[in-house]
This record gives sequence, structure tokens and C-alpha cells, in this order.
Amino acid sequence: MDEDVDASVAEPIPLPVRKKPAIPNGVLAMVVFILTEIMFFAGLISAFMIVKAGAPGGVWPPLGQPRLPVVETAFNTGALLLSGVLLFVASRRFNQDPLRAKGAMLASILLGMFFVGFQGVEWASLLGVGLTMRSSTHGSFFYLIVGSHALHAIIAICFLLGQYLQLLRGKLHRDALSTAAVFWYFVVLLWPFLYLTVYL
Amino acid sequence: MPWLLALALVALIVAMPALAEACPVCNSAKNEASRIAFLVTTAFLSFLPLGLVAGVLYWIRSSIRAAEPGESA
Repeated sequence: MDEDVDASVAEPIPLPVRKKPAIPNGVLAMVVFILTEIMFFAGLISAFMIVKAGAPGGVWPPLGQPRLPVVETAFNTGALLLSGVLLFVASRRFNQDPLRAKGAMLASILLGMFFVGFQGVEWASLLGVGLTMRSSTHGSFFYLIVGSHALHAIIAICFLLGQYLQLLRGKLHRDALSTAAVFWYFVVLLWPFLYLTVYL
Repeated sequence: MPWLLALALVALIVAMPALAEACPVCNSAKNEASRIAFLVTTAFLSFLPLGLVAGVLYWIRSSIRAAEPGESA
């Protein structure tokens, strides 16, 4: 019996080595989630395109309906794209020194908030001139598509804010930042397609 | 006359969608623009998921290979 104990001490059973995944689990899960979101927006855009193509006289927006603020929204689109670039810069800086990512990440979040706030002001003015969910299919599709994107933007900003607070506490993990960043990139890159489809 | 029966069967199959008005592209489109929109969006929604899945699989494969360069050879 003593010999058995000695043998186990002399040759310990090696523990299995847990390899780090090639893609962080959070990032992979977010990518799969984003695939479903892409299909959701693809369905909305397809329905919109069919209704737009079948508009009487081929005129869209329908006669008597308010025009959408194309130029102002183009400016807002620029702000959102800049926000995405700044988050990319923040991610790069985080890999070198987490403290260096603070400024760029905060600027990215503030620009995202600006985008959502600007959209809110735009909506208020459109509601004021009579474009509502029930005023026409134009209004229904506008608020449904743009509103869905705004909801995603708000959730992504809350997600990024949570990560920023973790960064300030010095507890932010690289994988968590990557997961939040992937979602924000989706929100940022989706918007130009929605802008071109709905506004122009 | 089996060939006549086969011909009648083929004619019936070809005519069936029009009789049933089952095809949205053929029957729901009010004008040429609508018909094109139906076709484009049908293709878009058919091929998009395939492209997305293929893209993600390629990305996963590339990431794994990049993480383990020694095992790819």
C-alpha cells in the first residue's frame, strides 16, 4: 500500500491543458446573434422595397407625405461612422495599454448618444408635420425600420457604457470589450444601408 | 398513347402555378417595378443566409488556422 502512495506522488497525473479558444466565446455568440439580426433587417428592407416599388405612379414618398431630412441625416450618419472608427481606435489602444483607450472610447460613446439624440429630434419634427405610424405605409416603414435600428443603438450604447465603467475600475477584459465592439460595429455598418434604402 | 399522357401531364404542371395563382412574383405584382422588386428580394432573402453562414464558417476556419499555425501544415 505504501508503494502505491509513493508511485502516485512520483508520477502525478497531468491535468488536461485548457486551450484558449481561437475566437472568444462572447464574440462568437455575438456574431451568431448578429446573423439573426441581419436577417431581421433584411426582411424589413425587402418588405419596404416591395411596397415602395408598388407605390401609385412610382412616386415615393407618396404625394402629400412629408419628405425626410436627407442632408441632416447624412451629417448624423457621419457622426455614427466616426463613432465606429473611434471605438476601433480604442480597441487597438486597449491592446497596448488599457488606460490609453479611455478617451477614444468615451468619445465613441458620446457620438453614439449624439446620433440617437439627433434621431429623436428628427422624429419629433416629423411627428409635428404629420408623419406617424398610422399616417401611411411611408410612416409605418420609416418608424419601424429606423426605430428598430435606434433600439439596437440604445442597447449597444448601454452595453458600451457598462464596459467603459469597467475600464475606469480597471476590470475590463479584452474579450468583453471585443464583444461590445462587435455589436457596435454592426449598428454602425448597418445604418448606411438603411439610410440609402429609406431616405434616398 | 403514353407520350400523349406525358405531354398532358407536363402541360398541366406548367400551367398549374398560374391556375392556382400561387406565385407572388407572377400574380401579386401590380407593375413591372413590383415584379422586379419581388424577384430581387426573393433572391436577396434566399442567398443572404447562405452567404452569411459561409462567411462565418470561413472566418472561424481562418481564426483557428491563425491561432495554430504549426498544425495547419
